[in-house]
Amino acid sequence: MYYHLSKTRNFALLFLIILMLTATSCDYSQTDIDLSRYEFRDTKKLVKFAYHAAEIIRKKGITCIDSFKKNRDNFGNNDFYLYIYKFDGENLFHAGIKEFEGQNLADVLDLDGKAIHKSVITALENKKNPHAWVHYNWWKPKRFYPVPKSSCHFKVITDEGGKLYVGAGMDFPHEEKEFIRIIVDTAVDLIQKKGKEALEKLKDPTSQFIYREVRVFVFDDEGKTLISPVLNYSPVEINFLESKDAAGHKPFERALTSLKDRGSTWEVFLAKSRSRRILLKKILYLRKIKLNDEIIYVGAVTDMPEPAWTN
Amino acid sequence: MKNREKHLVYTVNEVPPLPHLLVSSLQHILLMFVSISLPIIFASQINASAQFTATFISLSMIVAGLGSIIQSVGLPFIGSKYLCPNVCGPSYMSLSLSAAWVGGIPLMRGMIIIAGLIEMLIAPIVQKLRKVFPTYIVGLVVAMVGISIIKMSVASVFGVAFQADAIRTADLLIGIFSLLVMVLANIWGKGVIKMYCLLIGIALGWLLAIIVVPEYGYALSVVGEKPFFAFPTITDEFHKITFDMKMLIPFAVIAISGSLKSFGNLLAAQKISKPGMKKADFVPIRKGLLADGLSTALAGIFGGMAVDTSSSNVGLAGSTKVVSRWISVAAGVIFIILAFFPQLTFALSHVPKPVLGAALVFAGCFMICTGLQQMFKQEWSAKKTFVVGISLFFGLSTAFLPALYARAPHFIQTFFTDPLPTTTLLAVILNQIFNLDQFFKKVNK
Repeated sequence: MYYHLSKTRNFALLFLIILMLTATSCDYSQTDIDLSRYEFRDTKKLVKFAYHAAEIIRKKGITCIDSFKKNRDNFGNNDFYLYIYKFDGENLFHAGIKEFEGQNLADVLDLDGKAIHKSVITALENKKNPHAWVHYNWWKPKRFYPVPKSSCHFKVITDEGGKLYVGAGMDFPHEEKEFIRIIVDTAVDLIQKKGKEALEKLKDPTSQFIYREVRVFVFDDEGKTLISPVLNYSPVEINFLESKDAAGHKPFERALTSLKDRGSTWEVFLAKSRSRRILLKKILYLRKIKLNDEIIYVGAVTDMPEPAWTN
Repeated sequence: MKNREKHLVYTVNEVPPLPHLLVSSLQHILLMFVSISLPIIFASQINASAQFTATFISLSMIVAGLGSIIQSVGLPFIGSKYLCPNVCGPSYMSLSLSAAWVGGIPLMRGMIIIAGLIEMLIAPIVQKLRKVFPTYIVGLVVAMVGISIIKMSVASVFGVAFQADAIRTADLLIGIFSLLVMVLANIWGKGVIKMYCLLIGIALGWLLAIIVVPEYGYALSVVGEKPFFAFPTITDEFHKITFDMKMLIPFAVIAISGSLKSFGNLLAAQKISKPGMKKADFVPIRKGLLADGLSTALAGIFGGMAVDTSSSNVGLAGSTKVVSRWISVAAGVIFIILAFFPQLTFALSHVPKPVLGAALVFAGCFMICTGLQQMFKQEWSAKKTFVVGISLFFGLSTAFLPALYARAPHFIQTFFTDPLPTTTLLAVILNQIFNLDQFFKKVNK
């Protein structure tokens, strides 16, 4: 009898501990921003983190940055940290590199020559980029190798009328489909506004249209290349419609078929992984636009999220 | 043998009273719903429309339900008459995707029909395999069936959907809590608590998940937006069936692997249903494989995802000692009915991942241990050590070192695909080679 009671008591205690641990580990914070566009939990967490910090400054004013500085550990972890800049490039708070605070970093370029601060300002004005994503190379203090980074930003206008932005970036980020949706839609806007002149801007490696292994490419109705996805100059013509993936299927041909009755499409295909040499799924986002009575196609390719249980 | 069957709550041919039949079927259905994530993932990987996804899920459920009925109801010449339901087969996933990319859904359907027919052709040979599959290899195959679900179950317990994504501590704790409830209800519980340990674990785990992770509750809030009753919408993709001979070999290989996996499942189902049986009876196994092949072919004809026998459901039957085949029949019927009720299907397909993962771990444990027990119950020898050891080394390496096999010669790539078929194939070949001395002794006599 005693044994039975003690077993039940231990059993109940065990469940109670698990329940308490579970309850303390959960995140009840609500957010009024749409995160459904992202597939990875890490990305959602990052956007929520930066958005909540921006909301605090919006509500409490610029003086709350002092309390951020006092509780620096709350604004960073192993994967990401918070930073706050004025629109002129002056750093007000940096949870990752304290030494930046008070310095003007408007002219800092990354390894590829990308002007990071200017890219953030451009992204904040871009309606196609609601969370102002910017992709660049950065580094971690005390490390010696470049760290690819994708950062999101929120604009804050303080009661004093100051313009700030609050941002946070993910080291070694996941490739979200949303990232290529943003750059392709932005490229389409630019082409529609400036015509073929815009193509030069799209080729610029320091622009938002090229990051990591992703680049915007353009071709015409016959599949003839206007901006190549692979080479800046090719002595041999690349015909998109004839191009095949690693499984032998023609993703562009299929994409063009589905673009007959719509303006944009997503198409999945297979390509070899650079590091592991196995076949991986990639996704193509393609848009059809009319430019001076000519149909052109603007697209980009990124990695498809791999289910957790696959090799 | 009757004595040994006494410890079963419901024996294989017994019809449980209606309430028990329904609740036990529900328990199996919840486990079958794990595989519904496959047509959802499939549709997302080919970037299909919401309408296609809904139809594809419905058709896959109808075929899985039909397969479960055919397998267990006891038709003449076909079906094992064991509790061994059908679910969407993960082994066909990757190849079906390739076929869908190359030739769309019509080609995927055509190739699945061929795979089903190949499985049906293999079935009659199985009866002659007594010497090829001695008891210890049968045990190894059964254990490997459990091992083959490790990746999917552990990823689910951790609650992650995509590779390299963040793990929430809450998810892990929900998974541990659900697993503990299932296991403790099974080992300490009596009567209905023991019988419905999985159902209790899923229900309590789901409840905890809704309370502590609001996301799981929000997922259910859109159930009302789905129609209560709907017929699958047969769009253009489902009107044609095509074939491509270039894909014949990979589909034949996967059909053989699928047959081997079902062979293992059916052997395990037999072991659980007839615990007193000294040697495997290959007649019901043959009939079961025939049913499995027919169900796969039906998946192609209907336009659903290829189906396979379910290891986890066999494991559940073993752990609850409820092995009545009528539960499989009832689960099949309910699965078909559910295919026409999108609201219910949607709700059941949103059981939190960590809870489902816990259910898979629970069922997998039983499969692994049943196999190991069977493997070691006979006298052991050096020959057996090397047959099992080498097969496991190279079979498991397909999961540990996938990139290695990506660069291997083509014929190795063809056969070294997945731990279960690779281990089985190697064990069979090595067993024959290491017993050549016996063969020569017989010849010399």
